[in-house]
Amino acid sequence: MNRRRRGRLSRVGAALLLGAMSFLIFPAGGWSQNLTVSLSNQQLYSQPSFTSPPVMPVPQGAQVSLVSRQGDWMQVDYQGKRGWLHKAAVAGGGSPASGLPALLGGGPVRQTTHDEVALAGKGFTPEVEAGFRQKNPGLNYAQVDEVERLQVDPAKLQAFLQEGGLN
Amino acid sequence: MRRFIPVLTLAVGLPLMVGFNIPSLPLPSPPLPSQAQKAAEVVTKTGTKAVQASRSLSDAEEYYLGRAVAARLLARYPLYRNPEATLYVNQVGLAVARKSSRPTTYRGYHFAILDSQEPNAFACPGGLILVTRGLIRMCATEDELAAVLAHEVAHVARKDGVNSISQARWSEVLTTAGAEAARQYGGGVAGAVLNLFEGAVEDVFRTLVVTGYSRQAEEAADKEAVSMLSRAGYQPQALAAVLGKISGTSGGMFRTHPPSSERLARVKTLARESSPGPKDKVRAERFQRVKF
Repeated sequence: MNRRRRGRLSRVGAALLLGAMSFLIFPAGGWSQNLTVSLSNQQLYSQPSFTSPPVMPVPQGAQVSLVSRQGDWMQVDYQGKRGWLHKAAVAGGGSPASGLPALLGGGPVRQTTHDEVALAGKGFTPEVEAGFRQKNPGLNYAQVDEVERLQVDPAKLQAFLQEGGLN
Repeated sequence: MRRFIPVLTLAVGLPLMVGFNIPSLPLPSPPLPSQAQKAAEVVTKTGTKAVQASRSLSDAEEYYLGRAVAARLLARYPLYRNPEATLYVNQVGLAVARKSSRPTTYRGYHFAILDSQEPNAFACPGGLILVTRGLIRMCATEDELAAVLAHEVAHVARKDGVNSISQARWSEVLTTAGAEAARQYGGGVAGAVLNLFEGAVEDVFRTLVVTGYSRQAEEAADKEAVSMLSRAGYQPQALAAVLGKISGTSGGMFRTHPPSSERLARVKTLARESSPGPKDKVRAERFQRVKF
């Protein structure tokens, strides 16, 4: 009797294990986690380090699929190539979202009201900048744009570092 | 019992499989209230929560704030338009920024030179760093320039500019009572946000140009700068060297906020003497070639 009971229990255990495995094999949302690159001027690096040779540039808004993580770095696939992205380049960076909408909404709320939804799209946005510029016409945004336009070529930076014995 | 096993398997497995894929259905929306009403209601509801979340800006919001601060600074100081010098400063700046606690920002770090003999440097939130020709000319080597830029990058990485926005600024918009807030900020929610933005720009600008960061913020930035210099391969004691020179000047921000002897001593302790590297001469020579 005891043996029969043990046998039945082990079969139930196996069934539960199979059930759990079916969840692991078919996780929600498919096999890999897709992430959106939220910063502009990002590079895919060959190693989890800014000093490693760049693989290819990744535009803002690009969808990459996560392969693995290592410290602050994420190994991702993008357009058939594999490389490393710093976690800060990806929306949220793996950390909880923050921002002015959270401030105005008072942080995460259980019951989202219509007003909070209306505010969720607000914050310090290009629209706010436009309003600010209209109110303050004396500001020199043209030169700010000029400063931002300068992009250092990653290959040239690599050569600069190497020449100066830098890491 | 045997026949029951597959049924049990599905019973456990299926809910787990489908439970995460339930599509979200749109909820019916109530009729839209006016902007002013909306602002008033939200202000009343969220006022008490404002203080807790006050300094949490997203990277993008910090970027727009930094642009506005830079636009104000560039209305005051002209740019030094020397492509070779600007590229060089950006290369040195990026060499250290990559080794900071925040190696990348929303639109990246950008460095520019201001055409002023007054020794000064400004770290705008989000990574726009402006340094005057006067301050660069006080640097004798690339390592000293890297030390100046590393200190400024540290202020960006540590969000010292954003943290200088007064607590009152955050709460004033949100705690003003209902209808009064709506009247005060004519454009409703958008008006309130613009008002907050203007106030935040004012606070950061004042900190950069007039009052300076707190002693603790400066010390923490020095500490991070020393670490960045070491990790990048620069001589970390270059920070002590350049701070020593600044403490003897009488221009710019340093007239009212010279580095104290305690600060200098602390940096000297942090940045232990390191032996000269084989490429020190290469860096010194390329610095000498650039006209500032």
